[in-house]
Amino acid sequence: MIEIRGIRKSFAGVEILRGIDLSIGAGEIVALIGRSGCGKTTLLRCINFLEDYDAGEIKLDGEVLWYRPPPQTGARRRYPEKDLARQRQRMGIVFQQYNLFPHMTALENVCLGPRFGQKLSAEVAEVRARELLTRVGLAERLNSYPAQLSGGQQQRVAIARALAMKPQVLLLDEITSALDPELVAEVEDVIRTLTQEGIAMVLVTHAMSFAREIAHRIAYLADGQIAEIGPPQEVLDRPRDKGLREFLRRIR
Amino acid sequence: MTPSDLWVLAQAAAISLLMALASIALGTLLAVLLTPLAFAPWTLLRAGYRLYIFVVRGTPVLLLALLVFYALASFWGRISPYAAGVMVLTFYLAALFAEVFRGGVLAIPRPLWDCCKSLGLPRLSILRRVVSPLVARYALPPYLNVCVMAVKASSVLSIISVWELTLASREIIERTLDVYRVLAVAAVFYFIMCFAIDRLGRQLESRLAARGFAGERL
Repeated sequence: MIEIRGIRKSFAGVEILRGIDLSIGAGEIVALIGRSGCGKTTLLRCINFLEDYDAGEIKLDGEVLWYRPPPQTGARRRYPEKDLARQRQRMGIVFQQYNLFPHMTALENVCLGPRFGQKLSAEVAEVRARELLTRVGLAERLNSYPAQLSGGQQQRVAIARALAMKPQVLLLDEITSALDPELVAEVEDVIRTLTQEGIAMVLVTHAMSFAREIAHRIAYLADGQIAEIGPPQEVLDRPRDKGLREFLRRIR
Repeated sequence: MTPSDLWVLAQAAAISLLMALASIALGTLLAVLLTPLAFAPWTLLRAGYRLYIFVVRGTPVLLLALLVFYALASFWGRISPYAAGVMVLTFYLAALFAEVFRGGVLAIPRPLWDCCKSLGLPRLSILRRVVSPLVARYALPPYLNVCVMAVKASSVLSIISVWELTLASREIIERTLDVYRVLAVAAVFYFIMCFAIDRLGRQLESRLAARGFAGERL
């Protein structure tokens, strides 16, 4: 479903991504692991085009995203803002720091995308938002502002907000890293229920046991490349890459 | 100083307040138009914005008042000093407000912009639903600061014969030679006006706080 080919990205002359190839099937869950600074988050941001990339191609269901396919000669061009917005709506992203809009209630946060991004009526957007917030266990907190919610609750609102666009893929960027240990489980539970629904996910994570449990494949990034990729049992239990062995030893 | 002098000062204070309020309203409008220029994709617009700020903010209000008054007078002949006064204060306040608003925009955390993008919100919705309400909250205290300054800056307009609190005080002093009492009364009037603005602002702030806003979270 998602085809990533040869993604390269530099920041100020330092190449962070050095040719990433990755395919993600419909409903597949891929976990990205690796040392901090290895480019996992950058890759995730490139997939949603929050970061532009220097070279490569990202396709969703065969459609080339973000940049128009270059004509025979000449440079690639970005799609106009309107198309970019439409393409972005096919993915949902959840960040480490929740990033809810502080001046809006949980319900308003979730409604925002469908109402003004997808131009749905206020009623339809609200029905959808209520349903999603109920699903993440926040039916009682619809009218709470982010500042009145715990970290775990805020992160669940953020997941509902991303799901409200009915995305084909959910991108999760270390969504439990900022949480107190006792709040991690409630967020992981929500993600677990989503795995039943067959939505594709790409998650950047340091929680190895969670990755092992839900991911179909785990990709280990090192030096801006995918050094090893495969099913959790292989990657985590019988790592071939020397760097990966070292990495796993350290975090255990 | 007689009770009738006090009544005259009260009327003059009302005019000061009206001048200030009119300029605050118009200046805010102008600033709302100016601030986006600071973030425009074209260098020329950004340069225009900076030039406006530098020129208007870098000139004493007194000088600005004389300049606008005489320049307008030479174009249109006689001109109401009140209209000229509101215009001067509007230009001046717009520069200060625009910078206050620009600060508010800069205070919006980058991740929130990312969220807007990834939700695929059109630019106008981002401005209306996210940027404006957040800027209103971030910019409220410095905005009120400028409003209080506006009340006091209105005293400068006496130089172009706007009959307001300062000019009225001077007239009464010239007649009665009761310098200290008249000035003390004028100061009390200015204080009351500034204090009222401050109270109003605090009330707005606490109302926003009650609506769950805590700017430092994130």
